[in-house]
Amino acid sequence: MATSVATKPGAMSQSSKLKGYLMLLFMVVLSWLIFKIITPGNFGSPSNLLSYFQSSLIAAVGAMGFYFVMVMGMFDFSIGANIMLSAIVGCVFASKFGMGYPGLVIGCVITGTIVGIINGMFYVRLRIPSMIVTTGLALVYESLANFFAGGSSQVLPSNLRALGQMPLNIILAFVAFCIAYTLLNYTKIGTYTYAIGSNEFVAKNMGINVDKFKVIAFMISGAFFGIMAIITISYGSSMLAVTGMQSMSRNFVPTMGCFFGMAFKKYGIPLQAIVIGEFVINIIFYGFIALGAPTAVQDVITGLALLIIVTLTTQVEKGEIVK
Amino acid sequence: MSEIRLEIKDLCKTFGITKAVQNVSFNINKGEVHALIGENGSGKSTLTNMLTGIYSIDSGHFIMDGKEVHPKNQVEANNEGISIIVQELGTLSGLTVAENIFLGHEDMFVKAGIKNTNAMNRRANELLKEYGFDRIKASAYIDDYNFEDRKLVEIVKATYFKPKIVVIDETTTALSQEGREELYKQMDRIRSEGDTIIFISHDLPEVLEKSDTITVLRDGVYIDTVKSSDVTVDDLKRLMVGREVTGNYYRADYGEAISDEVVLTAKGLTVPGQIKDVSFTLHKGEILGFGGLSESGMHEVGKAVFGASYDRQGEVTLADGTHINDIPTAIKNSIAYTSKDRDNESVVMNQSIGENICLPSLDSLKGAGGLLSGKKMKDFADKFAKEMSVKMVNTDQFVSDLSGGNKQKVVLARWIGKDSDIVVLDSPTRGIDIKVKQDIYQLMDRMRKSGKSIIMISEELMELIGMCDRIIIMKDGEINGELMRSPEMDENTLIEKMV
Repeated sequence: MATSVATKPGAMSQSSKLKGYLMLLFMVVLSWLIFKIITPGNFGSPSNLLSYFQSSLIAAVGAMGFYFVMVMGMFDFSIGANIMLSAIVGCVFASKFGMGYPGLVIGCVITGTIVGIINGMFYVRLRIPSMIVTTGLALVYESLANFFAGGSSQVLPSNLRALGQMPLNIILAFVAFCIAYTLLNYTKIGTYTYAIGSNEFVAKNMGINVDKFKVIAFMISGAFFGIMAIITISYGSSMLAVTGMQSMSRNFVPTMGCFFGMAFKKYGIPLQAIVIGEFVINIIFYGFIALGAPTAVQDVITGLALLIIVTLTTQVEKGEIVK
Repeated sequence: MSEIRLEIKDLCKTFGITKAVQNVSFNINKGEVHALIGENGSGKSTLTNMLTGIYSIDSGHFIMDGKEVHPKNQVEANNEGISIIVQELGTLSGLTVAENIFLGHEDMFVKAGIKNTNAMNRRANELLKEYGFDRIKASAYIDDYNFEDRKLVEIVKATYFKPKIVVIDETTTALSQEGREELYKQMDRIRSEGDTIIFISHDLPEVLEKSDTITVLRDGVYIDTVKSSDVTVDDLKRLMVGREVTGNYYRADYGEAISDEVVLTAKGLTVPGQIKDVSFTLHKGEILGFGGLSESGMHEVGKAVFGASYDRQGEVTLADGTHINDIPTAIKNSIAYTSKDRDNESVVMNQSIGENICLPSLDSLKGAGGLLSGKKMKDFADKFAKEMSVKMVNTDQFVSDLSGGNKQKVVLARWIGKDSDIVVLDSPTRGIDIKVKQDIYQLMDRMRKSGKSIIMISEELMELIGMCDRIIIMKDGEINGELMRSPEMDENTLIEKMV
């Protein structure tokens, strides 16, 4: 039988990419249109859309890093705790230690990276599922954040919040995108990420140090959550160190964006899908706010919307096994 | 006298209490195709897996061109000048063809940490063109190619860097004639350049035709090394099994009438892109063969009968009028199916032999309170594993530890245990040694005589001719002829209708 030919990220056929972009564009337009019709007055103006987009970039940055972990078939439940800890350390460095912007950036990124390395090391050393490892460690990170914060909310001084505003937030997100894109398509890390996700045993036999690259994936993910922490605290101005797994509520949005990336992997635009997917999620989110819908209703409809979007876009081959 | 390329000295490997390779020593020369034969579980693949870094060596040495080699993985083996083409699929989904070819060797395209994807694709396209595989595109997803094309990519991957030793582990059974010819061409090239091929195959005539020297292993022990020109197929069988194996291990009967009782009727079976308007009947106690080229659609017929095809049109009806449209209905109505793709579609690799055998029979293995009975399951698994002579430590052993032939025995034990009345066997002897083949043929004959009906799909024409009451030949997804069992029938009769 003749074989059809499609290509992969970095070398994907233009028609396949175009199809992916059109689907994403359709989702943006559809989600905007629905809420614009229902609440024409206070939703979806150009300036509103720009605001939604800026907001969506925060989670998109984290999701781009998390994509490396998810493609390998692993998971991370410490996302929220990482963001919280990184933001608090960055804030302490910037304000209490008087290090300003360098302190904020270094504090957040280094902390995020270290958290990622710890997650990866524990995972490969303990040989237990990543979900369990990161859930356990999330409790530790929450406690550490609480310790650093001294039990109170950490507020970033107003003169240090530019990274959460236009245009620096967009520039920072763009830089993060470029780094993720390069790592994924133009380094061995990207190739090995897909190889390990495809068949770990074969990848190992090809001389790939699987454990090392799993740690690297967590490290990249952590670093990107560190960048996300910079924009988060700069945009929101403060961070409260919560405990008792309350930080997990922050896991949801980056994870949803990552699902978009996984769904659009076959079109060769996973990172682009993460950015646009987060935008769609934010349109829906702000649409509900404009409607004044109760939180419970928002959650139900957002969850269902996610399922519908991913189902429609994933296009699983007949007979393909989905886990 | 030929120069020695590889000295194998006192090599040992154990898995738990299983001694897979025991003090094996022999030499392999430069510029030869050196076949390695033996029954399933004789240690052939274990030995070559140690040579290529897939398994570690317990004790002993590989000395290549006078220097000890001890690779820890395939890339290290490649760097030493050793490569392997494996029996099952050896390419990775989610990567491009080029990325698969250069996996582990990307550094040649990396500058300052950045991979030059265009250069990698360009080089891969050049190689594919050199090998005559132009239709395969370097930048395409490997997932977009079928099993056969992916094997061709593996050939390129294993040989493009001119290794000194290439291990070809039971690869030919996975290939159609066209694919085999491509592989033979590469084998000739490698040999003519003074390099060495270690060739593992259960197809003894193929071994005799393609190899210069043959080493025989049995139960992990070295038996003998012989010149191909000095031995016959029967000599090899005797060396492998350790006793005389009668040459005629197919059915000896001819002229037996097929029962009039129809147990299954397939009418107008169509699977878009695979098969078109396939109709036939299966009779009680009959072995009905399906032959053809690999892509003729014959493998899909098996799936369609078992209710495992997608978008199937047409009908599969049992004698009592039951329609088979899905797998649960098929199993409930005593139909069994073994897939050609054993590792992915037949065995559950990360489960034990016992669990695999019991899988479709759990309903009959319940004890008090409707709960599964551990004792019943163990007895059941032990009984049928023993009946199929599975070479194992015990039924608690993981299936992934078994050789290809023993995995197949586990699959068959599962359906014998289920006592299915209609058995669809797709490539039942693929990658299986002579002794197990004989066991399977005898089992099929016993089943036939006890009134079971069998559909046998095979690319091995001789076994179709030797075992079937009728043979349906498929071509381009359609039935292209039907032949009745006859002592006069030979391979040419079938080939005429296949191509």
